[in-house]
Amino acid sequence: MNRMMKTGACLLVVLTGGCMQYLVQPPAPSLAGSPQTVQAKSYLGSEVQQPPYVLAQRCQDGEQLARVLVKRDFLQGFVSWISLGLIAPATIVYTCANAGDPPLGNSSGGGGDE
Amino acid sequence: MARQPSFNPIRKWKNFHESYEQVIEGEYDLFMPQQGAGLTIEDMKETTRQFQALIADARKKGLKARAVGSAWSLSRAPTTTGWALNTNRLRGRLKVSAADVDPAFPGTADQKAGLYLFQCGNTVADVNKVLESKDQRRSLFTSGAANGQTIVGATSCGTHGSALDHKALHDHIVAIHLIATGDSHFWIERKSRPVMKAAWVKQLGATLKRDDDDLFNAAIVAFGSFGIIQAVVIETVPRYLLDTQPGQEKLDENLWKAIGALDFTAHPFFKEGRPYFFQAVINPATDEVLLSANYKRKDDDREPKYGLTQDPKAIGPGFDSLSTVGVILGAFKGLIPAFSALAAKQLFDTAKKTGTSGQIYGFKPPLLHVASGSIAVALPDARKALEILIQLYRDIGPVPLVLGCRYVQKSPALLAFNKFPTTLAISIDGVDSKSSRAFFAAAADRLEAAGIDYTQHWGKVNAYTRDRVLKAYDGNVAKWLKARRAVLPDDKDRAVFDNAYIEERGLAG
Repeated sequence: MNRMMKTGACLLVVLTGGCMQYLVQPPAPSLAGSPQTVQAKSYLGSEVQQPPYVLAQRCQDGEQLARVLVKRDFLQGFVSWISLGLIAPATIVYTCANAGDPPLGNSSGGGGDE
Repeated sequence: MARQPSFNPIRKWKNFHESYEQVIEGEYDLFMPQQGAGLTIEDMKETTRQFQALIADARKKGLKARAVGSAWSLSRAPTTTGWALNTNRLRGRLKVSAADVDPAFPGTADQKAGLYLFQCGNTVADVNKVLESKDQRRSLFTSGAANGQTIVGATSCGTHGSALDHKALHDHIVAIHLIATGDSHFWIERKSRPVMKAAWVKQLGATLKRDDDDLFNAAIVAFGSFGIIQAVVIETVPRYLLDTQPGQEKLDENLWKAIGALDFTAHPFFKEGRPYFFQAVINPATDEVLLSANYKRKDDDREPKYGLTQDPKAIGPGFDSLSTVGVILGAFKGLIPAFSALAAKQLFDTAKKTGTSGQIYGFKPPLLHVASGSIAVALPDARKALEILIQLYRDIGPVPLVLGCRYVQKSPALLAFNKFPTTLAISIDGVDSKSSRAFFAAAADRLEAAGIDYTQHWGKVNAYTRDRVLKAYDGNVAKWLKARRAVLPDDKDRAVFDNAYIEERGLAG
């Protein structure tokens, strides 16, 4: 069991080395549309970035952000490590937020009686 | 001019929990015609026109299309190879005025006063927020454990909850607005339960269909196969509070009486007797059972607050931690029992609290790559079925899964997961891994070998085949197919909403 735990721990280190992931969301998210993925690169310790900022283009008509995930997989981590952080690629996944709650209407308001 | 659908040429589509990917031809985002304003019939007509134009265009181009809400399903039920139509911005809601209710509505005065129309993009969280507000003081009588699904997505796939004396989430629905083709849309109700006045339906421009109960009972659990459900009318109950009483017990004979027969007299855990909601999560690795017995309490004057809270210093699983955990547990099965005990507490909320239904079954910390399938059996078969699954766990295990037991009353829906007079829904939950998938596949085989009648959850991982669907639902399958042809008489229109999921289950074409 002890050996198994050690091997498991080694496997965990190998599988997850260089990877990271941060999720930001409000306490009660209201998602609008589907998650959108943007590949981004930071050069020279973030002095230069491509794109210069991640524009959440699918969030329209007053929509804000419901969820932002910034992540780096093993390959992206390796590139960052081998370049001493001069090239730091990452993947950003964002989801738009519904722009507020529509008020509760009444069926007669737009419907009508006989 | 109303905002028109916006096309996004993405080719790779994932479900919410990222347990699978699907290649599509792009997605459309749909918007409320008057953002920020209350929903009107004119808005619903405009949205109907937009959906119809997209359906007609898809048919003309030989493409498939499906409405997608929160993409919550772990099964491939909502997938399409064509256009995914994102509906989660369509969140209009209306209180049904007494003046619009058909005089033949057979419900009580309270039921008549508790009718609401929700557009398809409202999540269960949205519905709870509207209903449970201090102004409305209404509630759903049951709810699934999560609240991120859209009301139409959750109900179309048969989400059920575990309120012992109630039916499933879809059984709140009493009317459906279905957009079927480029030039047809229907307002569907049961013949036995007319709800809206014909004049109101006429104003919407929909064809009223309430000649028989079968069409309604087919369309209500159809996982998007009948067209696009733009809105539903639901019945609600007066607001109530739930007092949760969590605990952990060993699986002994007295506890089996509660789990296997809903007899709460024998085990000392159930001091208050039969709860309103009951859930037992069995860890087959240890025979430990996490219990959740929720008792109904009188409403108070609260304005419910919703949302996650967090201790900034807390340590817990990361958003995508389960994908790595699944690989490790696949290689080192000896770690599974310890992990399962930990995971059960993470996957099932066992904190003691008092709140409205929407507060209790509220927001959950997001996790990717969960594995979940559910098998339903009749209550008299409950213990036998559970013992078979526990034995399966011991035969092929350990597996990073636990068995959640939930209970629900029979639904009239033709393809209802809750088809038994009292249904035990065994929720097999854990980490997506090779061994978990093997367990899901073998579970159905074992129950069949034992001669136990069962159904599987449409929105979760399932091993349904054409033969199994026929065996589970017998004559109801033919009725369901006939009902589909009633709203989609042309095979080219049906083809728009066909997908591999329903083809493999003998429900396409």
